[in-house]
Amino acid sequence: MICWSCEKEGGKGPLCASCKAVLPPDAANDRFAVLGLPRKFEIDLGAAEAAYKELSRQLHPDRFAKADPRARKAALGRTVEINDAWRTVKDPVKRAQYLLELAGFGLAGDDRQTEDELRKTKQVAAPPTFLMEILELREELGEAQRAGDAVKVAFMAEEMRARAAETMKTLGAALGAGKFEEGARTLVALRYYQRFLEEVAAHEERTASGGGHG
Amino acid sequence: MAESFLQISEPGASPTKRACQTRAIGIDLGTTNSLVAIVDGGRPVCLRDADDQAILPSVVHYAADGTIVVGAEAHDRLAPEFPRDTVASVKRFMGRGPRDAEATRKLTPYQFAPPAGDGNVVRFAVAGGRAVTAMEVSAEILKVLKARAEAELGAPLDGAVITVPAYFDDGQRQATRDAGRLAGLEVLRLLNEPTAAAIAYGLDKQAEGTFAVFDLGGGTFDISILKLEDGVFEVKATGGDSALGGDDFDRAIADALLERWGLGDAAAHDAKLVRRVLDGARAVKERLTTEAEVSIDLALPDGRRTAKLTRTEMELLVEPVLMRCAGPVRRALKDAAIEPAALSGVILVGGATRMPLVRQFVEKMFNRPPLGDIDPDEVVALGAAVQADVLAGGAGQGDMLLLDVVPLSLGLETMGGVVEKIIHRNTTVPCGATQTFTTFADKQTGFDLHVVQGERELADQGRSLARFTLKGIPPMPAGMARLEVTFTVDADGILRVSAREETTGQETKIEVKPSYGLTDEEVEKMLLDSFAHAEEDVKIRLLTEQRVEADRIAAAARAAMADTPELLTPEDKAAIDGALAALATVRDGTDHLAIRAAVEALDVASKEFAGRRMNIAFERGLRGKDVDAVEKKADETAPKRDLASRAGSHAGHSH
Repeated sequence: MICWSCEKEGGKGPLCASCKAVLPPDAANDRFAVLGLPRKFEIDLGAAEAAYKELSRQLHPDRFAKADPRARKAALGRTVEINDAWRTVKDPVKRAQYLLELAGFGLAGDDRQTEDELRKTKQVAAPPTFLMEILELREELGEAQRAGDAVKVAFMAEEMRARAAETMKTLGAALGAGKFEEGARTLVALRYYQRFLEEVAAHEERTASGGGHG
Repeated sequence: MAESFLQISEPGASPTKRACQTRAIGIDLGTTNSLVAIVDGGRPVCLRDADDQAILPSVVHYAADGTIVVGAEAHDRLAPEFPRDTVASVKRFMGRGPRDAEATRKLTPYQFAPPAGDGNVVRFAVAGGRAVTAMEVSAEILKVLKARAEAELGAPLDGAVITVPAYFDDGQRQATRDAGRLAGLEVLRLLNEPTAAAIAYGLDKQAEGTFAVFDLGGGTFDISILKLEDGVFEVKATGGDSALGGDDFDRAIADALLERWGLGDAAAHDAKLVRRVLDGARAVKERLTTEAEVSIDLALPDGRRTAKLTRTEMELLVEPVLMRCAGPVRRALKDAAIEPAALSGVILVGGATRMPLVRQFVEKMFNRPPLGDIDPDEVVALGAAVQADVLAGGAGQGDMLLLDVVPLSLGLETMGGVVEKIIHRNTTVPCGATQTFTTFADKQTGFDLHVVQGERELADQGRSLARFTLKGIPPMPAGMARLEVTFTVDADGILRVSAREETTGQETKIEVKPSYGLTDEEVEKMLLDSFAHAEEDVKIRLLTEQRVEADRIAAAARAAMADTPELLTPEDKAAIDGALAALATVRDGTDHLAIRAAVEALDVASKEFAGRRMNIAFERGLRGKDVDAVEKKADETAPKRDLASRAGSHAGHSH
């Protein structure tokens, strides 16, 4: 990238190689590259967080409060990119989904996909028997919640958490072995488990805060 | 020492006794009390008035002759006598409309003026037939603090950081910013109060780890979970209630006293009675912090009333209010994914945390006693001063960095009034996110976009930030147009929204203007009104504002010409260049009207050019596909039809 400040080749980093001015984001970088991490599922989260903090320290807009408007804009863009990257990388499910997207797999029913992505990616959907099972579990949960059966809700949530943890392991192993199709199928299942648990949490929050708005 | 060096003042600035690298100030604009602090010799300190008081009571009195009195005198002497003309706890009205709960409360000493203009801003009717907004009242408090800092530092200031409750929404933040502008301050940043407290505490104690900040002030409650590590202050989660504080305790006690005395109905239309009972309730609450039982003896308009109240009785009255803190605390811990046992400490902020009941409550919620070694009154201003120093380029804090979050989710209203969240609460700022929407009705040619803030699932339960319309979508079957909406929040927490029609890849950008903000004209008018007795001040401020505006407009015009030279006719270019040159010659003069006229001339000269840019942007951005392509796509995307239900039901433009 040509540096806006010294007009020389600035290199690939966030700071210009010759004059150290902050450069605008480079769309060619994926979210792992933004944080200087290898593109894989198993990562050292502690090291990743340290990298995130160090980049923030260098590039946060507060560091450029009185700088040239172009530097301020570039710093803003870089920091948005760093924050988005860290949000994806630190969460194992988001990280797995992003790796699968990079490998050309899409998840059916994912609203975030654009048409272009839908056309270009291989869509993986959950098998009907699995969907039936989830549907029944959701109905059972709904009944327990309506009946105010907190013990049953807690029990179902605990079972689901165990299942999700197990599935997470399978997902990690598949991605580590480069088996993306299997990984995508596992992730589809995992997302259904997550939504189940989200519903449990949302209901808890509604009940704890006096409810009645749901 | 380096003091002799630091005492060398800049040209034009008066000598100062302070060893400050920057002249940036931190202001805690509180519901009950306000403070100002600076960084002096690397350490933040609160500035004191002639009576050696750091605290300025946030009370503003408007006298019939136009005099304005702020602070202790207004609170102690004028409020009891002129309750309607003396505004206290104005922070609770910031960014609030005439129909909000705060302005429709039964137990209030104030009288409200009929709304002006679009009717979105609360106005207090005060002496001399004046009506003042919450922003103007707050600006009076800020002016006193600004003057205190200028006297100490030697004018002019480099700018100010003003603190706001973390849970303030966009409208309340905008109102605070406007108050700063009205007071003639350059607002470098609005900083969340619990974050400010954590900065001051963390730097002072060299603390590392994850802390909870429990901030219960006069009118607002905030809970924040922060991680402190190597000078990085990372907010993990924040929550609260921007209408919950010590004032509500006072009100609960006052309600009980009025009922005991059989004055419940009388209070509905007797401002003096309300003011005195509220003040009495506050005194009782404060005395019961150390005493077990107090006698109350109040001189009310219709005679003396007495009562006895024990601490236990008082606690029973306020407990229901305090319990409202529990939900936000639980949610913040959950959002931060941390158990209370894993915290390094709980920091208390705000006067209301002095109450034993509040301390017990905190201890119970977090399973540990709170830290008691900081001054809950000063800590917020001190942290604000540190951040102001950093933003103004002071080297004192070295590597300190603040990573703050969006307090309330930001989203768009979709079909049936349901909110589609685009940026979730507790996302680190600056940040961006994109969501795809489509048309709901056949041949729909426009989108009404309604930007909403809040956690509720329905739009009418959240706070409306802005509405805008995108027109010019070619008629096509429902679900075919694909509108990508991007939200961007910068480090100041200011939201920008852009919309992009995917098939053409062209963009239309809209900067969200919160419904509760003031227009520049309104600010100018308020400046004129408020400084009617000090013409010189008005001139200087108008001149400054006008110069800022001139610079902004000139920069925008130059950028637009560089951006789309192909849309610029030679006549346009000559006219705009001429207007720019004319503006440059008057810009450094002292006549703000001349600058304003030059700005308007530039506006006229660039009107056609700007219009062409606008048209092109809209046309390109929203041009549809041809029919064949549409029908082909229809097959490919059939399973995605559910998206249609997420795009606005307000298909107001379907024909």
